[in-house]
Amino acid sequence: MTQRGLRISGLRAAVEGKEILKGIDLQLEPGSIHALMGPNGSGKSTLAFSLTGHPSYEVTAGSATLDGLDILGLAPDKRAKAGLFLSFQYPAAIPGVSVANFVRAARQAVRPDDLPPAKFRQLIYSQLDALDMDHALLPRYLNDGFSGGEKKRLEMLQLAMLQPKYAILDETDSGLDVDALRAVGSSVNAQRATAQDDAAGFLIITHYPRILQYVRPDAVHIMIDGRIVQSGGPELADVIERDGYDAFREEVAGGVA
Amino acid sequence: MALLSNEPIARGISEAALAASIERSGEGSIPVRARYEALARFAALPASEFARPGRSWKHDLAKLDFSALVPFDPQGHAAHNGIAPALPPAGVTVEPFSRARADHRAAFEAAFGRALDAGDDKFASLAVAFQNQGTFVDLAAGVQLDVPIVLSYEARGDAACFPYTLVHVGVGARATVLERLEGGPAGAFYCGLTEIVVEERGRLAYAVVQRTGSQARTIFTRRASLAADATLELAVAELGGEHAVSRIRVAENAAGSSAALTALFFSDGRQHVDLATEIVHVMGNTQSQTHVRSAGTDHGQGRYFGNIKILASAHGADALLRDNALLLSPDAHIDSVPALEIAANDVKAFHGATVGAISEDELFYAQSRGITRADAERMIALGFFEPAVVRFPGEGLRDELRASLAAKLSQRIAPA
Ligand SMILES: Nc1ncnc2c1ncn2[C@@H]1O[C@H](COP(=O)(O)OP(=O)(O)OP(=O)(O)O)[C@@H](O)[C@H]1O
Ligand SMILES: [Mg+2]
Repeated sequence: MTQRGLRISGLRAAVEGKEILKGIDLQLEPGSIHALMGPNGSGKSTLAFSLTGHPSYEVTAGSATLDGLDILGLAPDKRAKAGLFLSFQYPAAIPGVSVANFVRAARQAVRPDDLPPAKFRQLIYSQLDALDMDHALLPRYLNDGFSGGEKKRLEMLQLAMLQPKYAILDETDSGLDVDALRAVGSSVNAQRATAQDDAAGFLIITHYPRILQYVRPDAVHIMIDGRIVQSGGPELADVIERDGYDAFREEVAGGVA
Repeated sequence: MALLSNEPIARGISEAALAASIERSGEGSIPVRARYEALARFAALPASEFARPGRSWKHDLAKLDFSALVPFDPQGHAAHNGIAPALPPAGVTVEPFSRARADHRAAFEAAFGRALDAGDDKFASLAVAFQNQGTFVDLAAGVQLDVPIVLSYEARGDAACFPYTLVHVGVGARATVLERLEGGPAGAFYCGLTEIVVEERGRLAYAVVQRTGSQARTIFTRRASLAADATLELAVAELGGEHAVSRIRVAENAAGSSAALTALFFSDGRQHVDLATEIVHVMGNTQSQTHVRSAGTDHGQGRYFGNIKILASAHGADALLRDNALLLSPDAHIDSVPALEIAANDVKAFHGATVGAISEDELFYAQSRGITRADAERMIALGFFEPAVVRFPGEGLRDELRASLAAKLSQRIAPA
């Protein structure tokens, strides 16, 4: 019996030869929600890219397994097929490729032939409605000329259409209006609460406790300078909101001294 | 004197070959004297090059060897000339070019030579001299034609294909014409002309799909002339052939005219595509848009010269030229030279050009959704052409172009 969960241990990663992640340990169980907070440049997105296999991010040590499968040696598409999903902080635009075709290709890739076209259409319409998105987005080119909020909603649409086992939401809440935030919250909660075997785990990277009002995290982690310096309950988010990161920075400095 | 079928086939370009060709097919619509003059110009004129070929360019127009060329088929079935619809509606003439002067003299003479003067171009002159295929399309004033007129030309046997397509759109008339260049055995040679005249308030969508065989050479000159408030949407897809040369010039000769020129090509294997477009704003309040999308893979070579010329008489002209090239392999090469020649004040002229590879961020984004790298490359490259593809008329044609491009993408040699 393999160990379920997204299990990261001792993960170190470098960008252009410079070490950014300096040993990350984190376990995300199915059905759980963890928040990851930290100042700008602390390495949160680097963790997301290292896990999903962006070629610019070189993992130099440590391991990451998804329900027992070692994902670090896999191509990015294989990781997605294994059930990993990243909602990008800055989603790329692909001009000339429509949202509808792209999402269809992605669904086909991750879950081949599980939905006939008519059913696919039904599903995407209902998910668009759930996220309060205009159906007119479907023929538009992917993220091309989309507003910041539209891009973030489209990430959530893909999350809902692909139904991954583990999803990393990298600042999906930034740039979303209140209604969208609520919609994201219910979408995440719904996927987390599905039948035990299918329950998804979420790693929510955020700067604001606001999203955590809608999705109650099981744990909050603080990342400073490529390390997780503290983990705790949801109250940690409020401490940061009130006092900032200085107290945690001192801990790092103290630890290193 | 009719040539006997066992007589040796005349090879090479010469007065004797022209004489034999005229003897075989009769005078046609281009006067004999004009043909000989054109042949003389072909011999005298240099092959005009718009841009200096890069180091990897293998086909030099000035060094083409025509000694083995068969300029006409003595048996007369050299060329396949398809025309649809077979029975055009009232007010629409669709006639083989060679019979146009005889059968539609007034209409033919009202159009012929108004947009195209082969006098300044070597290969246009060659096409005039040996013209052996072609179509005359004439729309009477006010005729609105909804079904597209489809013209297709194909070289058969050993003989070269020299099509002349003359399209005249009368005052306030509207039509869609599709010119197809197809097939052709190894070594096939196509050298042709397209002349388009759109009268006041006329509207023409004219599309060219060049899908000749992988060892064919095509050299085409296309010229259009627009009257006041006339609209031309000219879209050219250079997909086939080993060496394709495509020279396009649109003259906006009166106020209110508008031209949208779209071209795409995708050089794969060892294919060479040589494209030049020019829009001439002769009068003011004329508009033009030029959109070019090109890609290269394998050892494919491409070059594009795009010019916008705004004459001193063209105050208030509005021109845009956008040219994007995508390189999919380290051995593919595309040279792009956009140019603006502006002699008037108060004009709007924009040009933008990019050459580049597929962005890693786009690839990674698609891969992070489960799409393989190879599929992601295909999808992104197809998407790259899409803004050009959507400018071709008709969903059926657009799907055909997408399928051709997709086929090229799947056949390409995977970069190591
Ligand atoms: N592709 C890259 N090239 C160069 N440096 C990079 C690259 N990606 C990340 N870095 C550097 O790595 C460090 C961590 O960046 P990262 O994007 O992971 O931070 P973050 O915690 O997500 O910040 P933010 O909250 O601003 O999104 C930064 O110093 C950043 O400049
Ligand atoms: Mg970040």
